[in-house]
Amino acid sequence: MTKHPFRLIALAAVAALGLSGAALAQGKYVHANNSGYDNLDPHAVFDVGRAASRINFYDGLYRWVDNPPKMIPWLAESHTVTEDGLSWTFKLRQGVKFHDGTEMTADDVVYSMERMLAMKKGPATLFMAIIDPGTTKAKDRHTVVFNLKEPSAVFHSTVPEILIVNSKLVKQNEKDGDWGQAWLSKNVASTGSYTLRRYDPAVGFVGARFKDHFAGWGAKSFDEIEFRTVLETNTRVLGLLKGDIHGTDGYLPQDQIARLRQASNVQIIEQESMRVFYFAVHNSRPPLNDVHLRRALSYAFDYDGFNNDLLKGAVSRNAGPVPNNLWGVPKDVKGYTYDLEKAKAELAKVKEPMRPIVIGTLAGFSETEQAATLLQNAARKIGIEIKVESAPWPVVQSRMQKEDQMYDMVPLWKSTYYVDPNNWIGEMYGMRYLPLRNNSYYRNPEVDKRLEQALKVTDQSTRDRLYQEAGRIVVDDAAGIFVYNTKWFGPYAANIGGIRFCPIGNAQDMRWAYFK
Amino acid sequence: MRRLEIIVSRLAWFVPTIVGLLIIIFTISHIIPTDPVRVLAGDNATQEQLDALRKEYGYDKPLPIQFINYLKDVATGNLGISIFTKRPISETMWHRLPATLELTFAAVFLSVLFGIPLGVLSALKRNSLFDHVLRVITVSGLAVASFWLAMELQFLFSMNLAVAPLNGRISGFGPDPITGFFVIDSLLIWDMESLRSALSHMILPAITLALPAAATIVRFTRAGVLEVINSNFVLYERAMGIPWPLIVWKYVLRNALISTVTQIGLIFGVFLSGAVVVETVFDWPGIGAYAVNSILQSDYKAIMGFTIWTGAIFLIVNLITDIAHTLIDPRSSQ
Repeated sequence: MTKHPFRLIALAAVAALGLSGAALAQGKYVHANNSGYDNLDPHAVFDVGRAASRINFYDGLYRWVDNPPKMIPWLAESHTVTEDGLSWTFKLRQGVKFHDGTEMTADDVVYSMERMLAMKKGPATLFMAIIDPGTTKAKDRHTVVFNLKEPSAVFHSTVPEILIVNSKLVKQNEKDGDWGQAWLSKNVASTGSYTLRRYDPAVGFVGARFKDHFAGWGAKSFDEIEFRTVLETNTRVLGLLKGDIHGTDGYLPQDQIARLRQASNVQIIEQESMRVFYFAVHNSRPPLNDVHLRRALSYAFDYDGFNNDLLKGAVSRNAGPVPNNLWGVPKDVKGYTYDLEKAKAELAKVKEPMRPIVIGTLAGFSETEQAATLLQNAARKIGIEIKVESAPWPVVQSRMQKEDQMYDMVPLWKSTYYVDPNNWIGEMYGMRYLPLRNNSYYRNPEVDKRLEQALKVTDQSTRDRLYQEAGRIVVDDAAGIFVYNTKWFGPYAANIGGIRFCPIGNAQDMRWAYFK
Repeated sequence: MRRLEIIVSRLAWFVPTIVGLLIIIFTISHIIPTDPVRVLAGDNATQEQLDALRKEYGYDKPLPIQFINYLKDVATGNLGISIFTKRPISETMWHRLPATLELTFAAVFLSVLFGIPLGVLSALKRNSLFDHVLRVITVSGLAVASFWLAMELQFLFSMNLAVAPLNGRISGFGPDPITGFFVIDSLLIWDMESLRSALSHMILPAITLALPAAATIVRFTRAGVLEVINSNFVLYERAMGIPWPLIVWKYVLRNALISTVTQIGLIFGVFLSGAVVVETVFDWPGIGAYAVNSILQSDYKAIMGFTIWTGAIFLIVNLITDIAHTLIDPRSSQ
């Protein structure tokens, strides 16, 4: 068995943070969110827009912090994994209290996993393929064992998403075998940093600092946090300028960011995120099954013009499918540049008969329309005709997941669901993810061999090498047109300190923040 | 007797109209080439998840069966589960109704309070400077885009003068709901701070809604009064020596209000079905803001629920308007 040094890391992390249960705290932080908090159930919702309720009310076995993301021990102190990679044993922290004062035990972890698997919603996506219901066991009061169907190196990075609910309390509120879903949609049963003080699905929530939280508190941590839904961007910006709110989402339009930068009472915290913008290309349909056409199109996209002129440099060039700021990226791969001469040379090698290429863009997401138009104009110069069709995301998504209906190309973003290269290159180009997540219909046995191996081995350096090798092939194959990695521009009141941005949750983990 | 016939006739048409509406929106929602289960399950769903959810929500059944089930659900007040929030749509709309009602009553009250007297005065002072100025104001009020007006009011009164709140329905979360109407609840528990906060938050969105509504009421009242004021019965009443203000405000106005009442009914219906833009800009947690959020999230179930709500509201408002006509003008019920 391999012992992981998480216990030491935990002690170091807590010491470094200077946390103390006896520390004083102050104030109320108010955040305006661009999405509604209409369901508080941590096992029902799993989108970035509603991350604040999951992160601030609930604890996972481990927790993501900072950028690049680091996983720190949280409800679990350490874990071991068997040589075959199938059995993962987690040692739980002792003496952790739920908000109602009862102790959190391995039974609660087992119940939480079973609940996720039974509900089949949100975060269950991460576990359904590798864990069967009934296989998670409480070895003793503070030890839990996850038994996987197949080795999965990715499981490690999904552990922070195993959010633990108070099983006794939820069971008391179950109705007609609903696993307490109706009750937990508007209540909180957890060990988390904040207790639920007020909740209105139409407005948002107020959380009060849980004084007995096992991780303790900083000297100036907020007493309360209030997250409100404010759909209109301009209203959120005005609220920040006026001082009504202390923070809002970090993906505002650049003109609003520029406006906020001029205000003395607002600060903008800039971080590179993990949200890759690329063109999904149908690799199996002629003529795009010809690598030379895909390369020609890759050379025909004006990366600098798009990233620096249209988006005003608010993004960073990302030459491959995996975000630059993550491991598993082949640093020697510089990617394609805008070069119409090279594009023409590649086009001359295309053997497939040409026809107009159809790009499906996401209605309401102007960047996808701008990217498609930019490529359309350049492609026309080298003799490739491109048609652009716009449709709402659900329509585009439905078509992407059917091989015969997928557009020839779709510009879109790949977001962070878990911090592992498999979230990007694995799901985008691995054959096991056809057709639901591999919408590029890319079938390359050489790439697949490496991706599959990387899912099974747990040695980090081996996995890093495998993902780098796969990345080189994918870029050489021009399996997609890789454009940029998003930057996050967190707008906060100038008197807010301690914001710790992490691509998982977008800095909405408020336990670290304080008034300066 | 005629009044009873109108009510029965309208009620009789209520059910087939709603069923017709249901058929249309159900058909449209299934023509759109998207799969609600994929939206519900999220971007990373597995096939197993999709199959399970399809079964749970009944999407695995043939379309006619799905429609009959939907019809049964709607008949019992169940509009289904939102595919984005995963909460019952009826419960959500019911929860948001007091916010929309409160704003609607305030806006209609303001528009009637200013619209009818100004309309009468405008007619009485026909072609005067007052009439011309009022015409410019009312035409502007009708032409102005509500989102633009809302933002300008925010800039002026919230940001520059700092005399009104920027957004929201109340500071914080308000008093614990009794009726759900913050003004009434504040009075019931005698919480003057909450009352002041609720009223101050209501001012800007209510003005934004009331301005174009008042403009409509002014135009219709003016036209109605001008038509009636030249009637023989007015001439007769003047000849009888009845004081002019009494003639105008009691006899002329009552006869002139028929078309105005219809307009007020329509305005009421529009506001009740969700002042979509105004609720969104002012972060007013009503049904309009819910509709916008549902559209942004492609939450087809919720959009269908909102459409049914809107249809039902207009049917009810039309019924009330017809009854009001018979009360104002008894001749119409004979």
